[in-house]
Amino acid sequence: MEKTVEKTLVIQRYNPEHDQTPSQQSYQVPFDNSTSVLDALLYIQQSLDPSLAFRWSCRMAICGSCSVMVNGIPKLGCKTFLREYSGDLLLEPLAHFATEKDLVSDMTLFLQHLQAVKPYLIRQEQSAATTPASKPQPHKQTPKQLAKYRKFSSCINCGLCYAACPQFGLNPEFLGPAALTLAQRYNLDSRDQGKAERMPQLNGKNGVWGCTFVGFCSDVCPKHLDPAAAVNQGKVASATDFVIGLFKP
Amino acid sequence: MNQPKRSDEPIWWALFSAGGVCFAVVVPGLLLTVALLYPLGLLPENTLNYQQVQQWLLKDWWGLAGLALAGAAICLPLFHAMHRIHHGLHDLKLSSGLMGKVICYSSASLLSALALYFWWQGLG
Repeated sequence: MEKTVEKTLVIQRYNPEHDQTPSQQSYQVPFDNSTSVLDALLYIQQSLDPSLAFRWSCRMAICGSCSVMVNGIPKLGCKTFLREYSGDLLLEPLAHFATEKDLVSDMTLFLQHLQAVKPYLIRQEQSAATTPASKPQPHKQTPKQLAKYRKFSSCINCGLCYAACPQFGLNPEFLGPAALTLAQRYNLDSRDQGKAERMPQLNGKNGVWGCTFVGFCSDVCPKHLDPAAAVNQGKVASATDFVIGLFKP
Repeated sequence: MNQPKRSDEPIWWALFSAGGVCFAVVVPGLLLTVALLYPLGLLPENTLNYQQVQQWLLKDWWGLAGLALAGAAICLPLFHAMHRIHHGLHDLKLSSGLMGKVICYSSASLLSALALYFWWQGLG
């Protein structure tokens, strides 16, 4: 298909070295049915304005780098197509994060929140099979055990759910959808023994209880992870932990 | 990262959840029976006359049915509603502190206590 039709992309520009406030700049981009927002941004950078800054890497919705706000909705640039929009497109950096430059957001807070919930397998003791004499054995898992957490395991850390979450917008200390989903993912993993280490983070007011079940995180998740469901499961886990805590010395 | 303080939210969330079930099941059932079917004459006449209802709710089974109804139709839905209002106030940036929480849950407690007081009075 020939690229004869053009679309207007309005992009929020901001260079902290020169600009006091962000401003908007329009670009005309030729497009066809297969032109993604990321393709359009690459076209602008390569043919119209090399000063435009944005993040990208894989172009196939697996690296989670090209997150931007498209007409106010958090989207992956590579998974969003110009054909889906009848009018102009307004592109802005992810909401609820500080902007480094143009469409590049500062994801430090997001990464800190991910780190806080220890999103990796934790083993309390080396399994009995791992004596110096014998080789380490793999931890076996049945399909049923796998199914428990698998639906929460395909997060690509794109941060769209944080831009969608009004509670994270109001309170940046809130651990947020992706971190709480990851915590739940590892808590549900039969190979993991680190639930007791993660629960204190989940039990706090900035843990699962910061969520008011708005559910927009699940709407925008490009991997259809349903973080809202994971957080609500976390609430049940935290409430159970609360009751157990009452009877513990 | 230091350990955050445990939130007391599980208490309010448990009441909210229980109230949500009541709001979804008991309250519509009650409204259907008392506010729709009975006034339309679709239930046998005199099924819900005062003496009959009093017998069911306050005399039979030591009045436990009355207690269950007060709990499921008044107390728990009150906590559900006030929990929503409390968090709604936070969303609207009208209140995020202790004040809103105290007002919301204490009014739910007060009205619940009133409902239970009337049930207790009815027993005698």
